[in-house]
Amino acid sequence: MPNLLETAPRPRSRQRPRPRAILEAYAMLAPSLLGFAVFLIAPIVIVVLLSFYDWNLLSDPEFIGLENYRELAGDERALKSIGNTFYYVLLNIPAQTVLALLLALALNAKIKARNAFRVLYVLPWMAMPVALGVIWRWVFDPQYGALNRFLDLFGIDGAAWLTDSTWAMPVIASVNVWQYTGYTMLFFLAGLQAIPAQLYEAADVDGASPLHRFFAITLPLLRPAMLFVLITSVIGSFQVFDTIHVMTAGGPAGSTATLNYQIYLESFTQRNAGYAAMLAVVLFAIIALITIAQAAFFRKRTTYDFS
Amino acid sequence: MNKTRTAALAALALALPAGLAACGGDDDGPVTLRYAFWDDNQRPAIEAMIEAFNEDHPDIEVELEQNPWEDYWAGLDSRFAAEEAPDVFWNHVSRFPTYASNGVLLPITDDIEADGVDPSIYPENLYDSWQYEDEQYGLPKDWDSIALVYRLDALEAAGIDPATVNDLEWNPVDGGTYVEFLRKLTVDADGDNALSPDFDPENVVQYGTAMSSNTGQTDWWNYAVQNGCSLQTEPWGDYAIDAPECVEAIQFTADLYNKWHVAVPAESTNQPNGGVPGDYVVPGQAATTLDGSWMLSFYRDGLEPGSWAVADNPSGPVGSGTVINGLSNAIYAGTEHPDEAWELVKFLGSEEAQSIATGMGSVWPGVASLNQGFADYWAGEGIDVTGFQTAAEGTTIGYPMSMNDAAFGTAAMDEFNQVWLGQKDAQEAAEAVVALANAE
Repeated sequence: MPNLLETAPRPRSRQRPRPRAILEAYAMLAPSLLGFAVFLIAPIVIVVLLSFYDWNLLSDPEFIGLENYRELAGDERALKSIGNTFYYVLLNIPAQTVLALLLALALNAKIKARNAFRVLYVLPWMAMPVALGVIWRWVFDPQYGALNRFLDLFGIDGAAWLTDSTWAMPVIASVNVWQYTGYTMLFFLAGLQAIPAQLYEAADVDGASPLHRFFAITLPLLRPAMLFVLITSVIGSFQVFDTIHVMTAGGPAGSTATLNYQIYLESFTQRNAGYAAMLAVVLFAIIALITIAQAAFFRKRTTYDFS
Repeated sequence: MNKTRTAALAALALALPAGLAACGGDDDGPVTLRYAFWDDNQRPAIEAMIEAFNEDHPDIEVELEQNPWEDYWAGLDSRFAAEEAPDVFWNHVSRFPTYASNGVLLPITDDIEADGVDPSIYPENLYDSWQYEDEQYGLPKDWDSIALVYRLDALEAAGIDPATVNDLEWNPVDGGTYVEFLRKLTVDADGDNALSPDFDPENVVQYGTAMSSNTGQTDWWNYAVQNGCSLQTEPWGDYAIDAPECVEAIQFTADLYNKWHVAVPAESTNQPNGGVPGDYVVPGQAATTLDGSWMLSFYRDGLEPGSWAVADNPSGPVGSGTVINGLSNAIYAGTEHPDEAWELVKFLGSEEAQSIATGMGSVWPGVASLNQGFADYWAGEGIDVTGFQTAAEGTTIGYPMSMNDAAFGTAAMDEFNQVWLGQKDAQEAAEAVVALANAE
């Protein structure tokens, strides 16, 4: 299994590479380095700079130093949106990860029409989130939505899902769980197939129960896949935007305004682009800290060598 | 400072794929103008006007850019920032102050004078509302007001004489004849109306009214003005919706939902997910609504001729006023084709162009002499639209003008959605909105 996060050790060659070889290497790298610089590094630098300015998008930005950062302390909406973001991530990640793992285990077994199921579960991930959001909004419509009509059959009075501040966030999270579980499953499936069969055979000989085999072999050996899945899906769910924009636009009463959505609101409806840039820097810092913590947690516990 | 602007623009250009799309502008060939607007209802009239424009200006191609209201302003702002804005666009009085003071609009005062455009063909206040610091920034495209739209079949079923609809009155205490009228029109699954002791508010098949609005214009503002609330201390001043007469009207609006049960529930109508008022009247979910004149063609296209009509707004304690508004066609200050853009704006402001729109029943015209043409079109459809003209007189106020419109709009929707749901006190919500909107 290839190492997912850590680079391979440097070749310990005593010879200095020839200048020509260095030049060739950089020439080959140039296109992707250029793309990296223009589309990633430059925007990040500009957003950080912008966070020290007051800018209404229409006239020239004005330098205000750390004012945007100071303002954050008293901005209830922004602080609430940070709380909303963590709430969303907590609703989203455990459910999605556990479901994906269970699905991967099921579809790793030799069952009929296995490939058809695999495709089926990945389909939502292939569809456009905005289009899906619109359809789910219809499904969750309090009066005409399919869900409440269905609940009606059993005499259950369904909630006003998206206009109820208690339900709106869990609904959004469940839509995203539905959408990304299949995609997450693919990584677990790949991880499962990399686990050598002889380990299970040996466990069988020792008379281990299926549950014991799962916790002693499958789960530990899935750690590389788990690390990758958790890091990418946590980052992805901190950045959720499209589903929220289409289904609730951050409402009701700001209950689904995540930090990423608050950035959009500040920048494009309130014309506070500098303040929004400050929020983007805060989001970046939060994601960076959590990613570093995850990587550190897994690094000590992960084996890449299955031989 | 210029450097930062360039850097900031670069950031936006990178963030927005649209910013990367090159805009082809040939100096010596046919010119393409981009014209942005939001209302789908008015698209047929716009297309007809452009067709007429092209008869005299075959070298100016007009490309339409349509975005719904919710996305229109964010899209426009980001394209101002990227210096890629459409050459000509619909402007709204609520955005006008910010745009004019930030220099993104092209002044047309000199063009008006040079081409001998006669401002007196427009109502004076409509023309003047596009002035900022002695410059004119647009020609009136239309005006609009709010009136009561109702279904004749619903009134007939409830045994209400349509002749009485023009004289409805409400008050915040017992609701008055207006609430009684709405209660008669609110019917549950067993056929009991909201006046009956057997009425089941959980099982309503037809509501008396539907209220939904992104701004307040087609819901609580009407009751506010009718109760003497003027929304602001003065035009361009602070928002003042925490005044007692405003809070009382907001409470009255909430009562229509939660006390009298005569409005389609806020769970359905709250924005941004709710529809426009017509979405509830056309399928019969609501019997009446207070709606804008720009929506007339929506009812024409959705309902059978002769099954609906327009009446005067109800009268509140202070009068039967509402909020009137108008749009203009504006030119982007950074356009590469200012001359052609002015030609288009001049044409769209002309009697010739606006008579095309009124002839299709699209909107009340900016050109005053064409009002009759619009009324005649609707009379031909069997609809008497004088309710909208009555609504434009008396205690009616102009659309609130403020640099803080964006903050007000966001806060108002957020807070009042909760009031309509019965989850927040009207006074508390109004104070929260005022605090947020006036803080900027």
